[in-house]
Amino acid sequence: MATSKSTSKASASKTAAGLGKPKSDKKTRAPKAKSEVKTHRISAKDKLKKKKRIYTAEELGVPKLNGIVPTGVQKLKGKKKGKVFVDDAESMLAILGMVQAEKEGEVEGKIMKARQLEEIREAKRVEAEKRVQSKKAVLEEAKGVLRQKKRTKRDKRDEKPTDDGKKESSHKKKRVSFG
Amino acid sequence: MRQLTQEETKTLFSKIANYTGRSLNQLIEPVQDASGKPGERYVFRIQNSRVYYVKEAIANLATSIARPNLLSLGTCIGKFTKTGMFRIHITALDIIAPHARYKVWIRPNGEMPFLYGGHVVKAHVGRWSEDCPEHQGVVVYSMNDTPLGFGVTACSTAAARKLDPTGIVTFRQGDVGEYLREEDTLFAT
Repeated sequence: MATSKSTSKASASKTAAGLGKPKSDKKTRAPKAKSEVKTHRISAKDKLKKKKRIYTAEELGVPKLNGIVPTGVQKLKGKKKGKVFVDDAESMLAILGMVQAEKEGEVEGKIMKARQLEEIREAKRVEAEKRVQSKKAVLEEAKGVLRQKKRTKRDKRDEKPTDDGKKESSHKKKRVSFG
Repeated sequence: MRQLTQEETKTLFSKIANYTGRSLNQLIEPVQDASGKPGERYVFRIQNSRVYYVKEAIANLATSIARPNLLSLGTCIGKFTKTGMFRIHITALDIIAPHARYKVWIRPNGEMPFLYGGHVVKAHVGRWSEDCPEHQGVVVYSMNDTPLGFGVTACSTAAARKLDPTGIVTFRQGDVGEYLREEDTLFAT
């Protein structure tokens, strides 16, 4: 494009200089047209060349087909090769803080779990105790009822003779008479 | 001898943090001396899969010794297994004990059974830290506050109260008796 511009400028100057000589003007015009065509052709070729450029898969960063690469073999782009060492106090403290927070959480969780289990156990124990107490109470009640029944029976038996006092008196009071 | 990687550091700290509380930071931070000046910094170094806790100056000096010739330096904390786990050694007791979170004190009649590699039974316990959950790392002390080893609780403090006297309270993981029993393998592979 730059070449075509320069040629057009040159031709313009030439035409301005020789206005009275049309012949020479023709002569000058002919090569100008040729050169223009040439430049056009070149640019077209260039375009064709540019279009033909083939990008490789690596350039595009497209994942390879059928490319299951084992994780150990896989190399990440733009990453440092080899081990990453930790030696400065700050990063070590950061790691330690992270680990300690994790452990703290674990311990808290364990304590909470133990407390909850203990609570559940305590509740179960109380419930079992209550059950035993209620069973005992029922038993005591039944015993009481039976006792009551027995007592009433005895009382009734005791009361019967009192109702007909004559018999009772004749039975109980034995009199001995001496002539 | 080299520095630890991020993964290794994390594994190491998570193991030590089983036994210690918040004060573990003091291991890494340079301790201030009496005059208030920052003291010497301690670092962790790995050599033949063993991790050492060593003064930075000594670690720097040790770089002049070839790896095959360097046997040991500083205090050995433990070793990394082939599976990437960390096994803590009894030599780390001096580092753990001052920062211990949960403690178990054992009576004089329980000291010898523990030092011969036995677990801690309830009958031998003099006292223990309150509110200790189960499967938690503890440091074992004698009644005169001498650290004897470390282990893992078998049950929580509340559950241990209901235990019979022969019941195991703490599973032993390391005791100072290992200095004699494991003499051959403790310092050399």
